[in-house]
Amino acid sequence: MEKTIIINIGNTIIHIEESAYELLKVYLNEVKQHFANHADDLEIVTDIENRIAELLTEQLEEQKKQVVDSNDVNAVIAQMGRVQDFDAVEENEDEPVINGSYPFHAEKKLYRDMDERIIAGVCAGIAHYINTEAKWIRLAALLTIFMGGAGFLVYAILWIIMPKAKSRIEKMEMKGEPANLQGFQKNLDEELQAVKERLGEVNKQAQPLFARFGIFIGEFFEWLGRFISGTGKIIFKVIAGFIVVFGAFLLLMLIITTAAFQGFWDSSIYEYFPFSIINDGNRGVILFSAFIVLFIPILALVLFSIRVAFNKQAINKTLSFALLIIWLAGVATTGYQAAKISSEFKQHAELSQTVDLKSYSTYIIDIDRSKYFSKEDSIAYHIDASQKNQIVIDDYENGPFVSPNNIRININKSETGATRLTQKNESQGKTFPGALQNAQNISYNYVLKDSAIVFSPRFQLRKGTIWRNQEVWLNLEVPVGTKLILKEDSYRYINNYWAWSCNDHENDHNNYSVWVMTEEGLKCKYDLDHPQENTENQ
Amino acid sequence: MIAENTQTQMRKGILEYCVLSIISRGEIYASDIIAELRSAKLLVVEGTLYPLLTRLKNNGLLSYNWVESTSGPPRKYYTLTEIGKDILSQLDQTWQELAYAVGVSQKGANS
Repeated sequence: MEKTIIINIGNTIIHIEESAYELLKVYLNEVKQHFANHADDLEIVTDIENRIAELLTEQLEEQKKQVVDSNDVNAVIAQMGRVQDFDAVEENEDEPVINGSYPFHAEKKLYRDMDERIIAGVCAGIAHYINTEAKWIRLAALLTIFMGGAGFLVYAILWIIMPKAKSRIEKMEMKGEPANLQGFQKNLDEELQAVKERLGEVNKQAQPLFARFGIFIGEFFEWLGRFISGTGKIIFKVIAGFIVVFGAFLLLMLIITTAAFQGFWDSSIYEYFPFSIINDGNRGVILFSAFIVLFIPILALVLFSIRVAFNKQAINKTLSFALLIIWLAGVATTGYQAAKISSEFKQHAELSQTVDLKSYSTYIIDIDRSKYFSKEDSIAYHIDASQKNQIVIDDYENGPFVSPNNIRININKSETGATRLTQKNESQGKTFPGALQNAQNISYNYVLKDSAIVFSPRFQLRKGTIWRNQEVWLNLEVPVGTKLILKEDSYRYINNYWAWSCNDHENDHNNYSVWVMTEEGLKCKYDLDHPQENTENQ
Repeated sequence: MIAENTQTQMRKGILEYCVLSIISRGEIYASDIIAELRSAKLLVVEGTLYPLLTRLKNNGLLSYNWVESTSGPPRKYYTLTEIGKDILSQLDQTWQELAYAVGVSQKGANS
């Protein structure tokens, strides 16, 4: 069964199937287009229409039927010939045929393609307009989004400006198929359609911008709804799946880490900075509460993701409420412990020890990388204390975990004329005696070898001592005129001078620099020898 | 392509002459002109003829009468006007000259 249309062509009434009608309409449009700029276009097209009407009538009579179908129309078209065949004869005609170029491109209009859309059909519409595939436009649009997101704005504006291709004619115009119906006076059906289309066009032009914006808002939310319930749902599920896997892995890691901190494998981790703050006795409590504070939110996220990914409630309400209570308890405990620990930083104590050095005209300041060993360490590492010459070289690690234990060296002018080295141990504590005790528990030493002063880079805390912002300052006072040779290793420990600056000036790649104590403080010897260069640099 | 172009040019010139010749034999309907041209193996699709006929009519070479048809709309039957007959005789002469020119070109003047 097919729908039949009654058409009036060449003053003849003909019943025609809808599909055949579409074919005929496209053909007549082509013909009309072809002769559009011809001087006698109306007459020619009328002749052709009359002839088509005649042919169709003949065919109906021959086949003894009522309705024209697609085969009939194709036969007629074959007899009349395609416009491309007209060209072969009519080209270079002296007739005033104005349209030299093929007229299809001029008829193209920019519409949004709602049939091939991903979001609102903007990209597909542009692709039709510039005769390319939509995927390239989409790729380009995606790239602009990555390049600062301007693509979003452009897309939204185009969404508002570009009208939707709703009717068949609009779709044909969008794809550049000829759908121009102007001047088709003979055909009532098509004329009516043309009038309707023109009216629609007028409405579209007259549409105020805010109305278009309203359309945009409506469509945007419609798209958002489709996205969340369609493609978006899948994306969310995939993300949720990843969170479940990653979260489960994280939870496992957390359990392992907690076990490690509990001392199952190695308790030496508490010698390093952020963990060395924690008191011995409170470790268990803090560890457990920290574990709860971290574990429960991750667990909750994983459970929520399971729900999103598999549409399944993984946990009942009572249990989740209990988890919340436990988590709050964990937060409270951690907060209490943190407050308690911070209270142990209230008091400050210093302990100074001054040594007078023998007078030399030159001192060498160096850093000894070998690690200082306490008696306990020697036993722990199985080092025989009786083997005097054995030295274990430190791995000389740096970074945030050890840097709080670094020493700092100040070099000053001696007012008394004596050379003097002061070691100052500082610490915080809950009370002053506690702080003083903490300061005393710093073990640090340096070695004096004739004119060489060799510092250990770091101080150690005696076993059982916890980190309470202990610091070791070494204050070296030398009289004016004393020469100091600073080894490169020591540069980073010198607090009150930028030791690298001298090296930069000397530019000789030595692993030391020579400084001299003057009335104005320590000066690089190179600068003193080359004063003009120095002033230039300033 | 070049051959094709020349062929088109030749056919185009001759088509007009042939159409006028066919019409000169008596009142005739467009589709019958097509049939004659087809049997002469000179055509081409029907759509081509209508612009040509319209042009010849507008130039005063042809006139037509509406004749009622048993099937479909009334038909245009074409006849030559006096101008048309005059031009056709000129074209006849030109054709003789052309045929002679082609013959001479192909075989030589003394054959």
